[in-house]
Formats: sequence, C-alpha cells, structure tokens
Amino acid sequence: MSDGTTGRPDETSHVLARVADEVVPALAARLEASGLGELEIRHDGWRVRLRRSALPAAPEPVAGRTADPAPGSPAAPARRHALSPGVGYFTPSEKTPVGRAVRNGDALGWVDVLGVRQEVVAPHDGTVARILAEPGQAVEYGQELVVVDPARGNA
Amino acid sequence: MFQRILIANRGEIALRVLRACRRLGISPVVAYSEADRDTRAVQLADEAICIGPAEARRSYLSAASVISAALVTGCDAIHPGYGFLSEDDAFAETTRAHGLTFIGPPPNVLERFASKAGTRALLAAHGLPTVPGSQGMLRDDDHALAEAERIGYPVLLKPSAGGGGRGMRMVRTARELQQAITICRSEARAAFGDDSLYLEKWLEENHHVEVQVVVDRFGNGIHVGERDCSVQRRHQKVVEESPSLALDDGRRAALLETAIRSVVAAGYESVGTLEFLVDGNGDYYFIEINCRIQVEHPVTEMRSGIDLVAEQIRIAAGEPLSIRQEDVRLDGHAIELRINAEDAAHDFRPQAGLVERYLAPGGPGVRMDSHLFAGYEVPPYYDSLLGKLIVWGPDRPAAIERARAALDELVVDGLVTNIPFHRALLRSEPFLAGSFTTNLLDRVGAAAFLAAENG
Repeated sequence: MSDGTTGRPDETSHVLARVADEVVPALAARLEASGLGELEIRHDGWRVRLRRSALPAAPEPVAGRTADPAPGSPAAPARRHALSPGVGYFTPSEKTPVGRAVRNGDALGWVDVLGVRQEVVAPHDGTVARILAEPGQAVEYGQELVVVDPARGNA
Repeated sequence: MFQRILIANRGEIALRVLRACRRLGISPVVAYSEADRDTRAVQLADEAICIGPAEARRSYLSAASVISAALVTGCDAIHPGYGFLSEDDAFAETTRAHGLTFIGPPPNVLERFASKAGTRALLAAHGLPTVPGSQGMLRDDDHALAEAERIGYPVLLKPSAGGGGRGMRMVRTARELQQAITICRSEARAAFGDDSLYLEKWLEENHHVEVQVVVDRFGNGIHVGERDCSVQRRHQKVVEESPSLALDDGRRAALLETAIRSVVAAGYESVGTLEFLVDGNGDYYFIEINCRIQVEHPVTEMRSGIDLVAEQIRIAAGEPLSIRQEDVRLDGHAIELRINAEDAAHDFRPQAGLVERYLAPGGPGVRMDSHLFAGYEVPPYYDSLLGKLIVWGPDRPAAIERARAALDELVVDGLVTNIPFHRALLRSEPFLAGSFTTNLLDRVGAAAFLAAENG
C-alpha cells in the first residue's frame, strides 16, 4: 500500500491530521464551488482525491491511503479513525455526536449494505472529534468515517 | 446499452473487461479488495471502489458488497469476469432483484446449467454425445458385467456418492471388474454410507477440446471454432490453442455443428464454452459447459477477430447477435501461454512478491493480456496468473515460432515464473507433434521438460 513516503511515524500522523482537519474541508469547499465532479491534489507522496458521489450531494472524500496511520505518540492507540466496515450508505449514530466520550468498540453509526446494518465502531477509547461523512453518504470499505481523539478520552 | 458497468474482478480480466467497456463507450467502475488498491484496473477506471479486505470471501465473493458497490456508484450492470461470482445463479438473481443486469446468462439459464449431471442429461437429449456409461446404478455382478460388455473395456467403476475422483477404479477385464466391485462397494459404504456404483467408459489418452459459442436471447447462435486445452497440470490449463490437432476436418465440422445446435435448442444464452473429451479415435464426448467468459477466450479472438467480451455485454443488454455463422471466419493458428507466478522446478509452487522489471513482447500477431508493471506487488491471496501471452500465425509452425520469439522478449524479474517451463514445452516432442494428452504432464512431470531444455 505504501507509495513512497518515508516520513517518520509522528510526521505521518501529523500530516494525516492536517489532511483531515484542513485540506479536506478546504478542498470540499472548492469542489462545491467549482461544479467539478472530482478534485485531486498530490503532495510529498500523499494523494487526496475528492469526488462527488452519485446519490447524495455532499462530496465524498477518498484518501489516497486509509487505515492504520502510525501512532502519534507512544501512548496513543494505533488508529484514530473509525473505518467503514463495508460498502454502502453511512448513517452516524445520534447517540455519539461530536464531543461525546466513547469506549473502544462503541457503535458510532452504521453502514447500510443492501439493507443490512454494519456497525461503525470506535477503534479505542476517546472523544468523537469529527464525523467525516454526511448522513446517507455512499462510502467504501475501509473509508475513514469518524475521528476519535484519544487525547481527551477517558481511557 | 448500459451506461456504467461495475467490474467485480481483478488482475488481467478486470483490464480486459475495462477495455471492452471503453470500446462500447460504457463508463467502467472497478470494485477492488484492499490488496488490489495499487493496480492498473483501479488506475484506469472512471471510478474505483473498495469492497472489502484481501480475503476473497469478504470482497470478490461477497455478493452483498459487490451489488452494494454497483448501486452506490450508479452502475446499471455488473461484469463478474471469470471465477469468483461468475457462475453463481443466486448472485445473478440477487443482482436482478436490485434492478441491475448480470453480464452473463440470465439467472434461470444459469440455474438450468448449474448441475453437471443435469446438464449432461439435458444436452444429451439435444443430441450431444456424452461419455458412455451404465444405465443407472449397478444392481449386481451380472448387471455390471453385461453393462461393461456393452460399453466396452476399459471401464471406470465409480461410486455414486463420491466426487473429485474419490473411490474410483479402472478395470480392463471382466475378471478385474468382479474383484473390483466387491472392494469398491465396501469402500463406498465405509466412506460415503452409500454403496451404489455405476460404470463409465475409461478414456485413456484424451484431448480436451472445447467449443466457443455465442447465443443471444432471440435464439440466434454461432460457434467460433474450438480450442484444444490438452496441456494441463492437475486439471489446470497451461496452454490453449486453436485449431485442435485431435480432430480431422470432418469431425471438427460435426463437433462444432452439433455443439451449437444442441446448446441453442437447450435454451442457452450469452457467451459460453462446451468442453469435450476427444479420444484417440477422434470420437468426442461432452463433459461440461462453462457459463462465462473464459481465461483462454483470446485464442478465439485472435483467429476470428470477434471481441467476445463486447459481444457478451451486448447480449446481456438485450441486443441481437450482430454476426451470422456464415460471417465467422477462422484464420490461421493461435496459441495462448498462461504466464503464472509458479516455480515449475518445485512442483509449481505459487509465488508472490514484487515485480522488479516487466517488459512485454510485441510485434505482429503477438498479444499480451496482463496487469503487470514494474513495481507491482503480486499478492499472495489470489490465483497465480500474471498474464497471457497469445500469438497468432498463418499456420501452427509459424505460431510456435512467434511464441518462442515472444517468450524470449518477455521479462518478468523479481519472482519465479513458469516462463522457463513454457520455453521447454514449446521445444518438446509431444507439443510439436500435437500429441499432448491431458494426463501427460502429471504422468511425466515438469522436470523431464525442464531437463531437456537445459541439457
């Protein structure tokens, strides 16, 4: 899966956080304004592509790499994103809005795969920091859906 | 015609279907597993969607994931390629239930041809010769002897409940048969709890010859000649060619004609392949039908100029066949070599790893269907097919010459492949003489071929 970056783990984590927090929203706004179907940026071996999904109006972020970013510090868990368990339509849970403390394994929403709900679960204890997909948005397997911040968690 | 097709497969066939989509002006979407993220099909698609982890059961074999991927990407049809879900009638039915088209035979046709025994009976009723056997189960020794006499020795004594060759015995005389029946019955009773036995004619040295058919839903059908796939290792095809040397012109014409007539009469639809065993006398026996596009379809494309995948898509879209039988022209000779990540010197052990260098052969009459590129990582999760080298020549010696030259151009560095084995095979006496039979490679072993090449 690696496509050439040799950054140290803390660098990788930092870049990933920046991509999630700054780059994706900025690109999403630009994509919205442009009327284009797709936008892609490449930088330092990273690739971020945004594409309007077929059904919902919201743009669908597709990170060049997903899953298992390296830990930010020795104390942090290996992953800070809850990933999509399948391909289908995402619905975030009303019980776990941004700011809510969650435990490892808690349901943060579900993905509807042909009528079967597959749970999106918290990868570790922490606080829901950001929900990356809109209700009803089409998502793919392994897509990052919810950022769970371990720093402010009750772990 | 379809607007957008989900390609639910990987490797070279995903690329092949993608190319057919481009030719027909259809937007291709590629469904991929996590292990196939960095592949050519994903890069070349209009859209790519990850459907699951590397494990095929949760990605390429997951009907729900594949259909859901087609729905969320706005596709109107699914191309299953070969293997995986390509002949799964339940998947085809579910696909239709979600308002999508399965590119292949309609679900009811797939269901009709799902059972091997049922298909043999169905096509036999429509005039195809099948391997001669006893009428039902053997009642007792006298019945067995009478049936064996009628079929002609040698015969194969088979337990009804077995499968995959388990518990079978070949007998050459009446005396051997009497002894074998007692043993076979007690073995079958112990192994399967059922001691019913039946007889089938034993075809000792046989060629595997198959007929490519294309049938639309209006009952128009054509055959596109035959392919000889007698170079096999443990029932896996290694080399395919057309025409077959096992048939003279008269028998070839009869085989092709009978095959297309019976399959149309039995209500088949889509591209398909009827497989036959051909014995030393040139007599042919139907064994099974493949309701999909096959790995070796380019052999037929090279001789006919017909794009079989495009035809398959058109037929699934409900279009009538655009070609009549009299328009089918089969020229020259074509050979396909399956290039596998396998170590022929060590029992064809499958290989995985980084392709450090990849250089494809070229020139007139040379076609390389492959998903390889330098830097591609061959994953360990799927089959070992790296690509197919297909050559065409005006006659067989010319095709073999081109195959040799193309093999010398082909470079796959970084992992062990069966390229050296193909080199040896193309110089071997049985291949050159066209006398290769389906059990030869297993009987003689790869080492004999490799030794001859090195010596």
